[in-house]
Amino acid sequence: MNKEILVRLEKLNQLRLTEEQEAETLAFFAEREADMAIVDAVDTQEVERMVHVMPLENVLREDRAIEPFEREALQAGAPAAEDGYWQVPRTVD
Amino acid sequence: MRYETVIGLEVHVELATDSKIFCSCANRSGDEQNSHVCPACCGMPGMLPVTNKRAVDLGMTAGMMLNCHINRTTTFDKKSYYYPDLPGSYQTTQWFSPVAVNGTVRIETENGPKDIRVKQIHMEEDAGKLVHDTLSNTTLVDFNRTSVPLIEIVSQPDLSSADEVVAYLERLRSLLRFAKVSECRMELGTMRCDVNLSIRPEGSDKLGVRTEMKNMNSISAIRRAIAYEVDRHIDAIENGTEELVQETRRWDDEKGMSFAMRNKETAGDYRYFPDPNVMPIVIDDEWYGRIQGTLPPFPEVKKQQLIDQGLTEYDADLLTQSRVLCDCYDAAFAASGLAKECANWIATNCLSILKKNGQTMDDLEIDGDRLGQLVKLVGDGVVSNANAKKILEVMFEEDVDPKAYAEANDMIVSNDTDAVMDVIRGIVAANEKDANDFRGGNEKAINPLFGKCMKELKGNCAPQQLREMLIACIMEG
Repeated sequence: MNKEILVRLEKLNQLRLTEEQEAETLAFFAEREADMAIVDAVDTQEVERMVHVMPLENVLREDRAIEPFEREALQAGAPAAEDGYWQVPRTVD
Repeated sequence: MRYETVIGLEVHVELATDSKIFCSCANRSGDEQNSHVCPACCGMPGMLPVTNKRAVDLGMTAGMMLNCHINRTTTFDKKSYYYPDLPGSYQTTQWFSPVAVNGTVRIETENGPKDIRVKQIHMEEDAGKLVHDTLSNTTLVDFNRTSVPLIEIVSQPDLSSADEVVAYLERLRSLLRFAKVSECRMELGTMRCDVNLSIRPEGSDKLGVRTEMKNMNSISAIRRAIAYEVDRHIDAIENGTEELVQETRRWDDEKGMSFAMRNKETAGDYRYFPDPNVMPIVIDDEWYGRIQGTLPPFPEVKKQQLIDQGLTEYDADLLTQSRVLCDCYDAAFAASGLAKECANWIATNCLSILKKNGQTMDDLEIDGDRLGQLVKLVGDGVVSNANAKKILEVMFEEDVDPKAYAEANDMIVSNDTDAVMDVIRGIVAANEKDANDFRGGNEKAINPLFGKCMKELKGNCAPQQLREMLIACIMEG
């Protein structure tokens, strides 16, 4: 992580960090990179690759549509809704 | 300098399931906004997705139809990006182990057949739809399409012209429709295409700067967009009109121009990681074999089989445009043994009713076996053509046995020639002028008499037989 990557991530995520926040974030990632370096140093050549963290597979359901959830209940917590739509600040494609 | 065009396609295809990929909301377009939504597909915290097995079946089917290797362990990953049509701020997709890899699609080009390599097919969820409201200057969000199952078919950059792109898309469409993976209707957005394009000096093996045009949904627009982009790239290289950068562009078909949307993200920007909420899928031999057993022959193989049965190339071509039509024909032919007649009934009468109902050929739901019985009743002279058409209309509404329906509704052709002749005599007697005109050489004068007889007989008479008996009766008089 460096300043250039951070600025790019800010842009992609539509975030605007203050200089202080940027410094904190860079410091945070520097610590995490140091942690990862410890993990990276472990010899895992003989360890089988883990596909998934949970010991489960094929958790599947049949293709059957059910009654939809009540729209008004879903939108009850929305900051803004109009005519059945969620309403958000204007977004340009 | 001469240039060659290098094109790779990412084709998104909506899977023909009844429900969404990770929840049980209906996969149905055209309904009222946010009428097929739940906490899971709206990205509410704490919700757990559960994978739709049918979506995996269709992903595997697509892979097999495109000659891919099917990964026996396939997993889902989170692709993080922020946009209002993506309520969870990530898309569940397949990055590390997609369902199918390393396939080929053979297309016909002016230089002969060409194999286009398919890098991978991965399953993923669709995003919602945004409506920009100019009155309130806000954006309205409809999540009905969110989490609708998609496959993305990623080709290698093996295509080198708009003609090849069109041939590839049409081939994909034909194969996937025939395997009932998807309707693949570009006009409805169930098949969409991102075009990755660059140019390079002819003979060079180094790829140029690549731009991506997103969400193309018509063949003609794709042709125009490719022509425009090739000219733009050449202009930039030769005349320095602009600096080419790797970016995502939007094609405006009305203006006939492409516009930069955003710098192209790289894989790292998406921070892919295994989705801990979606469990891996392990495809065992039984599952693999079951899907393999459901694969149809390739459309061109089936078409030749139909031609061998006696159908015209036109009819065979029409039937193989849709597996639904083809299955209906197969069942009808098996029940009747009348190849041409069954094809005609489907191509004319069935499609005509579908069109009248505002439906497509994939909406044909009548029982092919019963259609075959109906065609045979007509062929055997048991039911007249006119009455058979009425019965067919009923068969579109309800599941009826055509013979039982004909018997119950007085639609069986009469074998009682005496009774038919009685009707004819009565009509001729009541319409002496038409009869005299016919006798006088006006051949058309028989038509109203014929119509009146048929009406009186409720259509239950073989037309040729009725005509012969009518002529005999008139000339006797």
